[in-house]
Amino acid sequence: MITGHFKTDYSADEGIWSNWPKRWGLVAALIGLAIFPFIASNYALLLAGQIGIFIVAVVGLNVLIGYTGLMSLGHGAFFAVGAYTTVAIHHEWPLTFPLITLVISTVVAAAFGVLFGLPSLRVKGLYLAVATLSANFIILFLIEQEWLAEWTGGISGTETPNAVFFGVELVSQQAKYFFIMPVMVLMLLFAQNLFRTRFGRALIAIRDKDYSAEILGIALFSYKLKSFAISAAYCGAAGSLWAYFFPAILPEDFGLNMSITLVVCLVAGGMGRTLGPIFGTILILLVPELLKIVAANITGGDATAQTWVSPTRDILFGLMIIGFLIFEPMGLVNIWDRFWRFMSRWPFAK
Amino acid sequence: MLSVSQASLAFGGIKALDDVSFTAAPGEITAIIGPNGAGKTSLFNIISGFYRPQQGQIQFDKQNITRMRADKRAELGIARTFQNIALFRGMSVLENIKLGGHTRLSTGFWASGFFYGGARREEARLRAEIERDVIDFLELDHIRKAPVAALPYGLQKRVELGRALAMQPHVLLLDEPVAGMNREETEDMARFILDIQARWGTTILLVEHDMGMVMDISNQVVVLNFGRQIAKGTPEQVQANPAVIEAYLGTSDRSKNDAGEVTA
Amino acid sequence: MGQFIQYIINGVISGSILALIALGIVAVFKATKVVNFAHGHLILFGAYFYFTFSVVLADAPFMPAWVSSWEPAWLMAYAGDAPMFSPRAAIASWVSDLPRILLGLVGALAANAVLALIIERLIMRPLLGQSAFAMILSTVGLIWVLEGSAGLIWTAEAEQVPALGPNFPIRFQLFDQNLFLFSGSLVNLLVALLLFASLMLVLRYTRSGVAIRATAEDQSTAYAMGINVPRVFSTAWLVASTTGAVAGAILASRNGLSPAIGLFGLSVLAVVLMGGLDSFAGVLIASMLVGILSSMAQWKLGGGVAEIVPYVAVLVVILIRPHGFMGQEEIERI
Repeated sequence: MITGHFKTDYSADEGIWSNWPKRWGLVAALIGLAIFPFIASNYALLLAGQIGIFIVAVVGLNVLIGYTGLMSLGHGAFFAVGAYTTVAIHHEWPLTFPLITLVISTVVAAAFGVLFGLPSLRVKGLYLAVATLSANFIILFLIEQEWLAEWTGGISGTETPNAVFFGVELVSQQAKYFFIMPVMVLMLLFAQNLFRTRFGRALIAIRDKDYSAEILGIALFSYKLKSFAISAAYCGAAGSLWAYFFPAILPEDFGLNMSITLVVCLVAGGMGRTLGPIFGTILILLVPELLKIVAANITGGDATAQTWVSPTRDILFGLMIIGFLIFEPMGLVNIWDRFWRFMSRWPFAK
Repeated sequence: MLSVSQASLAFGGIKALDDVSFTAAPGEITAIIGPNGAGKTSLFNIISGFYRPQQGQIQFDKQNITRMRADKRAELGIARTFQNIALFRGMSVLENIKLGGHTRLSTGFWASGFFYGGARREEARLRAEIERDVIDFLELDHIRKAPVAALPYGLQKRVELGRALAMQPHVLLLDEPVAGMNREETEDMARFILDIQARWGTTILLVEHDMGMVMDISNQVVVLNFGRQIAKGTPEQVQANPAVIEAYLGTSDRSKNDAGEVTA
Repeated sequence: MGQFIQYIINGVISGSILALIALGIVAVFKATKVVNFAHGHLILFGAYFYFTFSVVLADAPFMPAWVSSWEPAWLMAYAGDAPMFSPRAAIASWVSDLPRILLGLVGALAANAVLALIIERLIMRPLLGQSAFAMILSTVGLIWVLEGSAGLIWTAEAEQVPALGPNFPIRFQLFDQNLFLFSGSLVNLLVALLLFASLMLVLRYTRSGVAIRATAEDQSTAYAMGINVPRVFSTAWLVASTTGAVAGAILASRNGLSPAIGLFGLSVLAVVLMGGLDSFAGVLIASMLVGILSSMAQWKLGGGVAEIVPYVAVLVVILIRPHGFMGQEEIERI
């Protein structure tokens, strides 16, 4: 029976893998991730890849919304920037090493992120939400324009390249999975590290009481811009992975729909926590799949009946957002917390 | 070391401060007193950097900081606590206090993300320092991991003081540090303030309504009324000042000793 | 020059419609401090309800013939042999459609009101007092629910609906330029401005108006003063739904009925923020400005530029005046 976790020096006390359940949980998760492609179907791998990409984006959004307390309804634009930059690079230099393209796409997205963040100098909350929304629409509008069509394919979209590592082209779902997962894990750990050090603490301070943060020497505007840049960078990286993952992309993939989905994944999972994006993304991306299964079972594959699947998915999505806000505003992570708290007391108290 | 000269601050037609001048001697405690609305917090706000006075200057160590940004003043070593507690409610006591050390650390974005290496060493060093200089000093060891939102009011005030201390400040601005505290808590806080002065020689500016504490521990008292400075001097001088008595202190039979003189 | 004035006139007309839509958003905000991102979809429902009542229901087999097309003898005599696009023919055709128009409007107003009350009771009440973030996200969730529901109930095909007023071209001269205007647009303009003015006056000068404003400022104090706060909320949403129904009818008759009406509402949100969330005057100015700018952009730059104009405009305005033209700034006490 665990009565406490005792440490003998401050460094140990500061550590995150500080007790054996967490440590072994991490090992189990990593092993699970590694074995998964060998036992899962292609369709499951497709889902897993999508979830992995989205997790990267939502982790980035968590930095901005969950930890810094700013608002954005336009992060789909950074996804787009990352994806189209990757396409553009391969358009010109088809043999670029994928990791380099990934890095460049991330940096370009970060630059746009700084641009997006400029309104945060003047406005907060609702106004910032609408400002980011507007910026999203404007960027997509530009992508759809004819004069950029050579690079972007305009409204009808464009084909995307496959990643080629040392002559091996990643075509199968398995191969793509092995590209996405390490990137996702590393970026997750990086984000987690940010928030147990000076940099991340400063962001949280800005969220909780910005004038107090200022008085402690934190330059508000500079940190807010950095927060935008980081979240944009993560979404840009996700966008780049998206381009390598899917055979083609369209501007409307990255519109309001995606921006809102990212925010919903974050809220459903739990803002301002490391596990939040993971739980939220898995839930939100699996629900449509469940719906498809249910629909197939009910209608028996009848084509005309399938037309109601999409609107029903929309309704369900909206109800989920509202449901979480009313009943579980702290997200799935809260349920996870409650569970572990219960377990640590059981069987002495319920 | 910190001096305010002829500072005037107006919001539209309202004069929050009108020609206020005083110098806070290094290592001494200067109290700012006055009725509500006298401009005490506004004075702190111009020293912290939230407002810019329309006239006048603020000098710190011969440097004119009147127009300096608030976050830059923190780097100079000016720390502050707030009237309504301004702790970061999403964090624990330890994390709040660590934020006091922000200006003294240098871990940037990349170092933070990669953690193992420079960031880890800095964090450990900061933690050791804070444990020694703040947590032990202010007797916060039993609550260091507690979320601040769960703490009682008096402890929250103490944590805020600890956070300001973690800055290792040259000047400490305390805005009503004992507001809402009972006698025992007030004495504890007064003791801490005096200990800070004794141990680090910090210059302390204090806004307070508790006259007992103010007159007991201050070296200098500045009195504001409707934004204007109506008296400045040692506690004894200020207490005897008729303008101050009329505007703020008031008289009471109990506060006159047998010779009919006004005492604290 | 003539073209220039023409486009300005067009701009003013679209601006007035924007103002009508914005009205619903401002009304709900003024009473509940909630900004309804889904207002465009409330209008969408209004438009589809109008369609259902004025076309589907009116043309239904069990309805008397005169509802579908009213042709009394005196009307036929009036119309006579008037040529197709003449004022006389247009007015006659409008009168003939009047029963279905009225049925459509009444039906849309009623149905939309019910919808608004359901939304207010089931979604907005539980979320009272929560952060701006929760408010934004819940109305965004509402967008999805409404869009999906509309998709399920009605198909996504574009349909025609009867216009609110008789529609014939009016030619006139201004500064020696030949200009023209559709009478239908003029009717839309008048309806929009009328509703806008009446709401503004009600809020400012009547007791219920003051009650609404008080509730927005401070709910608990309003309660303490004896104001029926839940009733105020319901009233605000009713205002939003009724103006939304009328706006929906207008938009549907102008641009055709389609799901795109929903997203259009989002651009009106930008206009509202540009004007300052709680200022009617500011919102009116912003609507007119955006209407004219969109019209100009359409003229000079063509294509779909018009749809991006509100978003560019709001960004520019926010950077200069963070709270819109005439919005109120909230001051935090340190």
